[in-house]
Amino acid sequence: MPEPDRDLSRKAIAQALADLADTGHLTLVVVAADGVTAFLLHRDDNGCPRGRSWSATWADLVGERGWDADPAGTREAVVRASRAPSSSGEVILVAVSSGDPKAEQALDWLRAAHPAAQVLRAEPPIAALVREVMADDPLTRSYELVVVLADPGSGRPRLTSRQLFPLGSRPGARTRVAVRCEAAGPYGTAFAVVTWQGPAPRLLSVQSAPLVPGRYEVTAELVRPGRVRFTGLPELSPDPRDWDQLVSALPDRLPGGVGPAHLVCAVEVCGADDQVAERLSRARQVISFASGELGDLLRVSLLAYGAHSYDPSAPELPVRVAAWKTDAGEALDALDALEERGAVAGGYPYHPHAAQLEDMLAVVVERLDWADPTPAVVLTVGGRPPHPARTDPSRLLPCPHRHDWRKLLALLRKRQGTVLGAICDQAADQAHQAWHGIGAAALAPLEAVDVRGLAAALGLVTPSPVHLPFPLLDETE
Amino acid sequence: MQPEPSRGRPDHNISMWGAPGSGKTTLLAALFIALTRRNDDWKIVGSDPASSDYLIDRTNALSRGKVFPEASMTLERYHWTLIGPAPQKTGFWGRKAKPGPPARIGLSMIDAPGGLFGTGRRPAGGVSAPDGAGDPRRQELLDNLERSRGIVFLFDPIREFTFGDAFDHMHAPLTRLAERMLASGEFTDGKLPHHIAVCVTKFDDPRVLETAEKRRLLTVDLDDPYRLPRVDSEDARELFRELCQVSASGNADMVLNALDQFFHPDRIRFFATSSIGFYVDRRTKRFDWDDFQNMVPGEADEDSRIRGQLHPINVVEPMLWLGQRLAAIRPATEIS
Repeated sequence: MPEPDRDLSRKAIAQALADLADTGHLTLVVVAADGVTAFLLHRDDNGCPRGRSWSATWADLVGERGWDADPAGTREAVVRASRAPSSSGEVILVAVSSGDPKAEQALDWLRAAHPAAQVLRAEPPIAALVREVMADDPLTRSYELVVVLADPGSGRPRLTSRQLFPLGSRPGARTRVAVRCEAAGPYGTAFAVVTWQGPAPRLLSVQSAPLVPGRYEVTAELVRPGRVRFTGLPELSPDPRDWDQLVSALPDRLPGGVGPAHLVCAVEVCGADDQVAERLSRARQVISFASGELGDLLRVSLLAYGAHSYDPSAPELPVRVAAWKTDAGEALDALDALEERGAVAGGYPYHPHAAQLEDMLAVVVERLDWADPTPAVVLTVGGRPPHPARTDPSRLLPCPHRHDWRKLLALLRKRQGTVLGAICDQAADQAHQAWHGIGAAALAPLEAVDVRGLAAALGLVTPSPVHLPFPLLDETE
Repeated sequence: MQPEPSRGRPDHNISMWGAPGSGKTTLLAALFIALTRRNDDWKIVGSDPASSDYLIDRTNALSRGKVFPEASMTLERYHWTLIGPAPQKTGFWGRKAKPGPPARIGLSMIDAPGGLFGTGRRPAGGVSAPDGAGDPRRQELLDNLERSRGIVFLFDPIREFTFGDAFDHMHAPLTRLAERMLASGEFTDGKLPHHIAVCVTKFDDPRVLETAEKRRLLTVDLDDPYRLPRVDSEDARELFRELCQVSASGNADMVLNALDQFFHPDRIRFFATSSIGFYVDRRTKRFDWDDFQNMVPGEADEDSRIRGQLHPINVVEPMLWLGQRLAAIRPATEIS
């Protein structure tokens, strides 16, 4: 029997809509005293219910010939007006007028044409009921906010999404998310909501606003399927960019400090006093600058190395680890001590033309935590070449410990997220070949160091202002 | 130099000859040390106080101070005598007889900064010597060579690689010497009457050792506890020829040709020489191919130093070869 209850009708329609597959259709045919109205419902690419309706009065259907003049023709016109597919798709027939002969006749014809159709009886207005059901449809896909994360390996930005509303969420649901917004260019920061169907996201909505860089506590509210409202932000406006344009606006590097970093500064402390002082001064500049950019995200290690002794009666000074993975302040204190100490390992029996570079590399290789994904920047400040592992035509005496700088450099290069930079006493074209490996990412001359440029080349900061089109997920949350 | 007392007069004289910086002074100091390490009673003594002082100073510098002896800064003339063991004479019926007089070989070195016959291609800081015909120093060198019948000629392959001036320092005195010998009737067969030991120095340098190794010229004396590599005299000429290929001037091959032109083939012998030898670790006491350089370079204003113990290679051998060859001919009648 037809169900007269409006709530029951709502439930029946809602259930039929909930069962509607992505590619299916639901046809709702409303038969009233004055005519017939067809609602055709489907889901769009994001799973949101969409619908269209067509109405026709009895007069529209039979014209001037009248209802009873050609019953077969009238029947066919009524069935055609229902727009219901004959073979596929669910059909629901809704009778809103009882007792009207034309309406009852039409209902009978439609029931005969769609024997599997549910038949409901409800009070008008049905269109409002359908809109209510559609607006209250639970989500068939998770809604997610597009955010940027720093890749732990490379420190480069990568897109990801953070779930706002899971499957089954209903309007009124709220989610809080903490983000950091950076300078974002003329369109501002885009709050893009996507759904996932397969490997590629589908853009559901995108709104943007120019925001003051900083941290924001944003509340997302599900207004209805396909509509998310963000609060905790200045008013957002529709963003004209499509998905491809938004993605292509993502820079290679993150603005400002790129994230946590471990700066390993190794300074050659043999040679002329003023040159050693200059090297230590450059190390101080880089540490201070990086600290200013990265703050607490920066860990600093400081090593000092000198020259090998080739006389057993004069034991050499080993590589000194003045600080390891400390904060910048402690490292700078250790640098003070090195400056106070000045140049070491001068004169006989210390080798005047090479330094313990290879020993320093061995210490760094041994000390670095290879399981730690934090990017490590190994910055060497010096000028002399390393000793070879064994006698070679360079005539530099071999390292007493047989350390092989080439193998050690290769090991460091293999470590994920490790960047090699150098400040060399000589210009690049005059530096020993080893310095081109030691300063593979950046090789700056001691006498003129562009500290910002060097830090940028080493990935400690970004080289120029960068616009980030999406918010950064605040991982401290 | 003072004339030698007649009783100590050597049987023959040997002159040391080579480009400035070729290592004559170091070779001399190493000679004293090498002789002291031998057990065959050969020794070197000064023929006059100045020469004795010079020998003592340079030897001390090398052995104690581990510094390379200073090169000559002024014209220097030194004379030493190599004194060998006294030969035992057997008496009748096996009775012990009085030992004979020991072999004596005079060793002279005349040197001056910049050499005496160079053309000016020499390290900065030195004085370039003009080839003036009347230069008394050059006359003195020629006098010395004329009186000698043995020559120790030092060829520094590293210097040749850098400056390429070995031929410059050789051909002028050689030509003048031939001129003198011709005038005195001792050039009758078109060859000089001298024996010459050609010492290819700096054998300890990696570039020289590598060249010898690549040419498969190296050998090891099985009796040598350190197993130091050597090049036999028979192969040293090939090493010399190979090293001539990298002469800076491209003239080094003419040195070899000039030697062949002016000396009898059986009076030329090549030696791969090192005054300081190879570094040997005190603990292993074995030559190590990975670590054999025995010299620690100095700062810009400092001299290089010897790193470990001295192991002179082919320093005594050229002298003894010359001594043996000269002893086989009649004693010199005119020696100073």
